[in-house]
Amino acid sequence: MSAARQTSSASPAVRSFEAQWHARAADALRPVREQAMQRFLKLGLPSQRDETWRYTDLRALASQSFIDAQHEPPGDVQPDAVQPLLDGAPRAATLLMVNGFPSLQPQQAAIDGMEIQSIREMSVRDPGVLLRFLAPASDADQRRWVLLNTALFRDGLYLKITRPVTEPLLFLHVATGDGANAVAHPRVIIDACPGSSATIIEHHVAQGAHAPLINSNTHIALAQDARLEHYRVFATTAAATHIDSVDIHQDQSSHCKQFTVVLGGGLVRATLEGNLRQPGASLDSYSLLVGHENRHVDCVNIVTHGAPETRSRQTARAIASDHSRVIFNSKVVVNAGANNADSQQSCRGLLLSPTAEIDTRPQLEIHADEVKCAHGATTGRLDPDMLFYMLSRGLDRATAQSLLVYAFLADVLTGMSVTATRSAIENALISQLPDAQLLRKFR
Amino acid sequence: MILLEINDLTVRVAGKEILKGVNLKVNAGEVHAIMGPNGSGKSTLAQVLAGREDYEVTSGSVSFEGRDLLALPAEERARAGLFLGFQYPVEIPGVNNVYLLKAALNAKRKAAGEPEVDAYEFLALIKQKMKFMQMSEAFLTRGVNEGFSGGEKKRNEVLQMLVLEPKLAILDETDSGLDIDALKVVSMGVNSLRDPKRAVVLVTHYQRLLDYVIPDQVHVLTGGRIVKSGDKSLAQELERRGYDWVLESRVA
Repeated sequence: MSAARQTSSASPAVRSFEAQWHARAADALRPVREQAMQRFLKLGLPSQRDETWRYTDLRALASQSFIDAQHEPPGDVQPDAVQPLLDGAPRAATLLMVNGFPSLQPQQAAIDGMEIQSIREMSVRDPGVLLRFLAPASDADQRRWVLLNTALFRDGLYLKITRPVTEPLLFLHVATGDGANAVAHPRVIIDACPGSSATIIEHHVAQGAHAPLINSNTHIALAQDARLEHYRVFATTAAATHIDSVDIHQDQSSHCKQFTVVLGGGLVRATLEGNLRQPGASLDSYSLLVGHENRHVDCVNIVTHGAPETRSRQTARAIASDHSRVIFNSKVVVNAGANNADSQQSCRGLLLSPTAEIDTRPQLEIHADEVKCAHGATTGRLDPDMLFYMLSRGLDRATAQSLLVYAFLADVLTGMSVTATRSAIENALISQLPDAQLLRKFR
Repeated sequence: MILLEINDLTVRVAGKEILKGVNLKVNAGEVHAIMGPNGSGKSTLAQVLAGREDYEVTSGSVSFEGRDLLALPAEERARAGLFLGFQYPVEIPGVNNVYLLKAALNAKRKAAGEPEVDAYEFLALIKQKMKFMQMSEAFLTRGVNEGFSGGEKKRNEVLQMLVLEPKLAILDETDSGLDIDALKVVSMGVNSLRDPKRAVVLVTHYQRLLDYVIPDQVHVLTGGRIVKSGDKSLAQELERRGYDWVLESRVA
């Protein structure tokens, strides 16, 4: 078998993933997983020769061998120790996922307007439903780690939203453990029924000296007229590597507002694939990417307009200080026949140090005749005229700079409907901006 | 008492000498007008006094209340009581007008060893000044100068001046682009600041503003030097005879 032959020349990481695969007990999802694993083994880990991986070097990661992260008891996790995103604010529930394993309380299965289940239990009871959400194997380089996730996830959360739910739902993802070279593949499926609405906040944190490598995937399906506001907030530690992808599939007249916020982590790769597959579907994507110290942030958005009268907006704001690097690649694809597609991409980068780097690349691929697609990208430093104006009013330089940085991010922050989350993110931002504690006075 | 004293100031901008030896003395309690044609160096002088860093002072000195003004960074000049009303106030989307003004006032109070103003007190103060300047309350929620018309921006500059109560206000063409009603409001604002302890320097193109704010002295700045000074009648004469007349009379 070709996959077996590949193994001899494969990297230690790939060989260790293959060993995990062989150690897995077969479940009802086996045929889909098998297909995904074979694709992965054939293609291998992405390298900088692959289009969406040009700026991120995974060679150090590839040279390591990985073992499965432990199923840590949730009792050892202290969610209060991390920056809370819904501090004291009302919420539908907080769901805890530790190294990809959900910790569900019995009462959480019956929240009004929602059904919540463990993916592992569902794969026994109702695998047919799950199979609808496991995308067919793809060779696209941005989906390489998703193949691996599909093959290897051990559990996860399936959430069905049946009605409009007003209060936000928090998923706290904790990566924990002290063993080096562990890996977890958390999986989340959000299944929004016709006419339902919800706000879901996925908060990724890490604790412990050697948090595992996380390769997570969230699959979102919005049925007709469904509405979702989704946040993924990365607030892991400087040693942590996180590879995450969100896939959004939208039916007729559904609307999704998606926020990707990178506030922590050593290496964060965040992919978003939006598939506007029926008329009237609309996606607003916001990215707030903060490079700090030696952080490497690689964000890839690919939005496909697959039907007429679809709409997308992408707003990305990247800030890089110290020796950090932030990459934002966005692509809009308009398929043949998707007439009157309407898309806008706005990427702006702000460099706060001469040793930091920001790369933004908006792309358009249009196969339809009647479309309205706009894009713009700029990267620069703080505007000297704005700075002088503020200094001439007596503000000290640090405060003036912080206010300008904060203003730069305003387009993303003001889009957030959940006030508690927005202020928690603002607080976290303030702690990473130079001298920004001064800003607290003005909020 | 001399508030501002400029001696033989020369300034380069992008390698080109713009000010070529400016001398000026402003006493507390006075209003001075600096007039001159386009490109004469009026705005350069205003910006240099406010502390713009990319303008290079090549010689000369400036003292403000006896202190070496040129040794201070822009923010310390502001806290010491110097205010520049910009010819083209910059828009700063995302930074709220009220935040900026409150931060500015508190920076000044802190430098003077006074306690910071509390939020309620500040709002009352700013609302009172806004009413005086006939400004809409919508201003309170907007970004600094964001989407303001030219006239609104100029009113905002004067509003900031009224809140900060500077010892020396330099207003760079605050009158340009204003209709007659706005000009009256702006003039009223400037006049309300007149006080034996303060001084105002009006940089202007036209004599129009000086019908409402009567200057004690008028100076003509051209070619990077002050070539003629006089009382308010000089402004009227300039209006009648143009700047060429000053240049010709100088040659003669």
